[in-house]
Parts: sequence; structure tokens; C-alpha cells
Amino acid sequence: MKWFNLILRLILGGIFVYAGVEKIIDPAGFAQSISNYQILPHTWINLLAITLPWIETLAGGLLMAGYWRKANALILASLLIVFVVAIGFAMHRGLNINCGCTNTVGGAKVGWKKLAEDTLLVMAAWLVWKDRNRNE
Amino acid sequence: MARNLQRALVIACAGAVLGLAANLISPRRIPYITAPKVAPLPADFIPLAEAKQLWQAGATFFLDARAPADYATGHIAGAYNLPAEEFDARYPQIATMLTPDTAIVTYCDGLQCDLSHHLTARLRQLHYQNVRVLQNGWTAWHQAGFATTTGDKP
Repeated sequence: MKWFNLILRLILGGIFVYAGVEKIIDPAGFAQSISNYQILPHTWINLLAITLPWIETLAGGLLMAGYWRKANALILASLLIVFVVAIGFAMHRGLNINCGCTNTVGGAKVGWKKLAEDTLLVMAAWLVWKDRNRNE
Repeated sequence: MARNLQRALVIACAGAVLGLAANLISPRRIPYITAPKVAPLPADFIPLAEAKQLWQAGATFFLDARAPADYATGHIAGAYNLPAEEFDARYPQIATMLTPDTAIVTYCDGLQCDLSHHLTARLRQLHYQNVRVLQNGWTAWHQAGFATTTGDKP
């Protein structure tokens, strides 16, 4: 179980570090992606595009390092839940979220696949949180 | 739980501050407050029928504003790919084929998609006079049964 949790932590943290860095490299593209969801008020989009990738990278990196494990798992789980809601909302409204949101191909299917991926990651975060081998 | 919430808050704030600071010095910085949206004018759009005529006449340049993967999956026959999100990197290649008064039609996919509008805005900044958006371009075009092709070449 100890190894399993370590691997889970590394994967979950790694995904967020990777996703975060990708967005840090292209803030304008990420702002466009956020705007495609049409959820956030227009004015706030850039602020989120500037800050969120760094929060993802920092929390993901700390989780990989095993520092403040629970707090970081909590952040990542919260973010993932927000993502799931945003994706579900966009799908519900029938937005063409294949359009410039990601480079993935495949129309509506991308929605369900992303939704499933993020839900799995929420469960991973929960397992990381629950890990009894450590106190933090 | 309370302690972890507190710590989570500390990390979130630290991340946000890092991001705000990094954006000050980043070469790719964006404005902190999103620039207001400019509503497109009716004259910015080209009707599908007219686009088809121009396409047949052959003198008009069609630009696909979507990501390369979407372009490769299917695009208007003869259209070049100039992803709005990679404009700076990809524009020089395209520029060699354009003059300031080349007729240009941009498109992406979906009524909500504004990649084509971004692309049009960038081109107009560069003094191309005759740029219009084919709204819901890819879907409208291939549903009408007009010529399309796949792959990463026009």
C-alpha cells in the first residue's frame, strides 16, 4: 500500500505539474480555453489564466515531494471537481468544446473522456488523502 | 481538517502570487484584466454561399484558425492552417503567400468558436484589408457537401 500511494502521488502530482507548465508557457491560449467555456465573467478570465497554472504546478510539485500531502491532495481534488463541473456544464449546454479548448480531436467524445479521466483523478486524490502510512 | 484547509489556502495563495509576479516579467505576459470583447459587425461575416463562390473562383485565401490536429482531421479543400493560438510562430510561413489586399476567409468550427475572430483581428492589425469570417465554418462547409480534405496539407 505504501508503494501504491507513492506511485499515486507521483502520477497525480506529475499530471498537474505537466498541465500547469503547459499553461504557464501559453497563458494567452489558456485564457482562450477558459473563455470558450463561457462560465467566468469576461473580466476575470486573464486573472485565472495567470494564477491557476502556478497553483497547479506548485500543489502538484509539493504533492510529488510529499510535502503537506493532505493539503495538496485537497487542492488538486477541489480543482478537479471544479473541472468536472465545468466540463459537464459545457457538455450540457452543447458547447463545441473541441473548438480550440484543447488540441484533442473527436468532438463530443472528448467531453466524456475528459470527464471520466478527471473523475478517476478525484478518486486518486482521495486515496492519497486517506493514506494512513503517514501523519501529514 | 482545519489545519489542512489552512495549508491548502497558503499554497493556493502562494501559487497565485507566483503567477501574478511571473506575469510581470514573462515575455508571454497577458493583461491582468481581460480586454473587453469587441462585438463583431455583420460585415465581418461572409455568408456560406458567397464563400463557396469565392472558393470556386479560386483567388481567395482560406485560413483554418483551428489547432493543427483538428485541421488534419478535416478542413476545407485548399485552406491553409494558421492556428490562432500559434499565430506568431506560423504566420511568417503564410505571409509569403499574401499581399495586403488578398481576399481572406477565416474559419474555425462551432457557433461559439472565436478562433477565426482572433485570427481576423490579428490579420487586420497587420493591414490585411479584406478578411472575413465564415461562421461555424467547418461544420457549415462539410454539411453543405462542399469539397474538403484531410491531412496536414491544404
